[in-house]
Amino acid sequence: MSTHTAGRRIQPRRTTGVPYVLIVPAVVALLLGLGYPLVWQFITAFQDYGLAQQFGKPPEWVGFDNFANLLWDGEFWAVLVRSLVFCIVTAAVTVVIGVLMAVLMNAVGRTVRLILQISMLLAWAMPVAAATTVFIWLFDRRRGVVNYLLDMIPGVDMNRFDWLGHPLTFFLVAMILIVWMSVPFVSFAVYAGLTQISEEVMEAAQIDGANAWQRFRRIIVPMIRPVLSIVLLLQLIWDLRVFAQITLLKDAGSKASDFDLLGTYIYKLGAAANDFGVASAVSIVVLVITIAISWVYVRELIKEDEAQ
Amino acid sequence: MKRKIGALAAATAALVVLAGCSTSGDTTDTGSADGQDITFWLMGGDTPDALRDYLKTEYNKATGGTLTIEQQDWSDALAKLTTALPDADNTPDVTEIGNTWSPTFTTVGAFSDISDMYDELGGSKLLQSFVDVGAVDGKNYAMPYYFGSRYVFYRKDLYAAAGQEVPTTLPQLTEAATALHTDALSGFYLGGEDWRNGVSWIFAYGGDLAKKDGDTWKSSLSDPKTIEGLTALQELYTSASNAPVTESDSTPWVNINTQPNATAPEAATIIAPGWAHWSIGDLAEDPNDSTKTVATWNDDVFGTYVLPGVDGGVAPVFAGGSNIAISAASKNQAGARELMKIIFSDEYQQMLGENGLGPANSDFLSSLGDDQFAKALADSAQGSKLTPAAPGWAAVEGSGLLEEFFGKVNGGGDIASLAAEYDQKIDDIING
Repeated sequence: MSTHTAGRRIQPRRTTGVPYVLIVPAVVALLLGLGYPLVWQFITAFQDYGLAQQFGKPPEWVGFDNFANLLWDGEFWAVLVRSLVFCIVTAAVTVVIGVLMAVLMNAVGRTVRLILQISMLLAWAMPVAAATTVFIWLFDRRRGVVNYLLDMIPGVDMNRFDWLGHPLTFFLVAMILIVWMSVPFVSFAVYAGLTQISEEVMEAAQIDGANAWQRFRRIIVPMIRPVLSIVLLLQLIWDLRVFAQITLLKDAGSKASDFDLLGTYIYKLGAAANDFGVASAVSIVVLVITIAISWVYVRELIKEDEAQ
Repeated sequence: MKRKIGALAAATAALVVLAGCSTSGDTTDTGSADGQDITFWLMGGDTPDALRDYLKTEYNKATGGTLTIEQQDWSDALAKLTTALPDADNTPDVTEIGNTWSPTFTTVGAFSDISDMYDELGGSKLLQSFVDVGAVDGKNYAMPYYFGSRYVFYRKDLYAAAGQEVPTTLPQLTEAATALHTDALSGFYLGGEDWRNGVSWIFAYGGDLAKKDGDTWKSSLSDPKTIEGLTALQELYTSASNAPVTESDSTPWVNINTQPNATAPEAATIIAPGWAHWSIGDLAEDPNDSTKTVATWNDDVFGTYVLPGVDGGVAPVFAGGSNIAISAASKNQAGARELMKIIFSDEYQQMLGENGLGPANSDFLSSLGDDQFAKALADSAQGSKLTPAAPGWAAVEGSGLLEEFFGKVNGGGDIASLAAEYDQKIDDIING
């Protein structure tokens, strides 16, 4: 009730329709761009929809059959668990390295910082296909520089080691690639946060005898927490729906399903094996997971907002 | 804003009109081909540039329109065809299609009925097995484009040094390859997931990938003869190939050539489609581009033989090749038909053969020449077999199950239990 009087002062502005009109184009674009595929996907998830339907035959409604089939499909669960683990590990590694880079940028002189920033911008701007191709070359079984260098270490035999031939090393390469491409975003965001921390606070802490780790842990991290959480959320979402890198690495490696993540699994089910119904059902599952992850964070963000 | 709404209305109207078109099924357009600009999808790089240029020029001469050729990658062609063919705005007007995918797309009505052109395009002279996979209920939808079959390339120098003769039976081939094999040299270079080559072993032992039982198809990996073939393949792979288990249909000729800066090749024997012989030989720097190399065939070093059967003779290999069809959703049916006439013209059929691609029309088989490659192609094509003409076959290929299965077999897995497992997986989708 106490906020009521404060709110009254800005009421006249709220009642005009201008803000609503202004957001109409954005909302319409969003509804058209995202709404149509989303609605189509939702409908298809409850249909038996194959190649014949794609060419005009009316689809048949099957209720929750597509979802029920998934429940008993070991391959689906394997892909789901693999994707979640991959997404969490990759996002965590990205954020840790990103923060370290940001701290480094904050600590070094202007010239070094500029070099760091430019090189990271280049990595960030690199098209996915180009970066993935270079990584495929780096880790090539025969001519890859990684095997060449590792092989020079005495006692290490990496000659002809097939990085893309085993699921574990395949996902390690995929992770290094994705981390390399996403660290710049994290470190720029965190660096921006770091520049907002006032020098006085840090100086005071130093005078009070806090060492570097204590200052980082007790002052810097809490102050940039909002940035950290949003960056981690974005990384989790991006890494869950990673597609292009995995597809290209699979083209250079194996076609087997042991190397699939949710993105390539859905694509294979739908576009290549013509089972659009089940593919849509899996997409809905991914959507639900994404919303669930986001929900936790959004609620926390709102809470923090209210607390301030 | 007004202009935007206008555009939106126009777009909606267009959508309604187009949707109307695509559901009406056969859009036999009676218009003329004059000035129609059409798009032709080619799969992979098998069709040489000279042939592409010929088609463009001839099409322009015949209609005044422009022919755009777009090359699709084999690996994602299935997905692209599935999404583009039903869409009148994005469909290629004419497309090349893997012969094994023809039944799937023909059954669902992706292509225009061109039965009335059958005689004009070559009629009974056309390669029958390829015509059959493109026909439904006696009507012709997809026609043969070219055929190729796979035969063996080997290093004469390495065979001689190891005292190995050209094998005449399949077990002898395994023996010779095993004898040639070292850590640095594959006696027979074959990728573990390479089912398109590996399937020849199944065929050679009288097995099949799937069989038709009444109206339904059933995967027959567990068939005793299929298992025999897979066992022989597993033995060859594990005892003679250094290729990764995860390698599928690739470019094995890089292994049989002695690469620049290398002293020896990495394979003594490979199996590849006939046109691969253009890429095999002594390597030298390309005079036009110093970053590339050109291969010159050297009869003293390289040789060919046909994959031998289990008890001699010729093993039935996988009949490679493509079909060609007009998209039912195409708005340029007349232009598309014009292109078909050019492709099946005497000149073009002759050019296909001269470039090592088996021409669709048997009158032009002689255009392949009479060198060892033409002979090996003709011999290996004799007994060649197609994959099952099941409605869901394209989905089976698209799902990657065969790569996975062959990879696991060659990785040393238990064949009987793997066969049972993948029979079940394939049965789920093979009937469409």
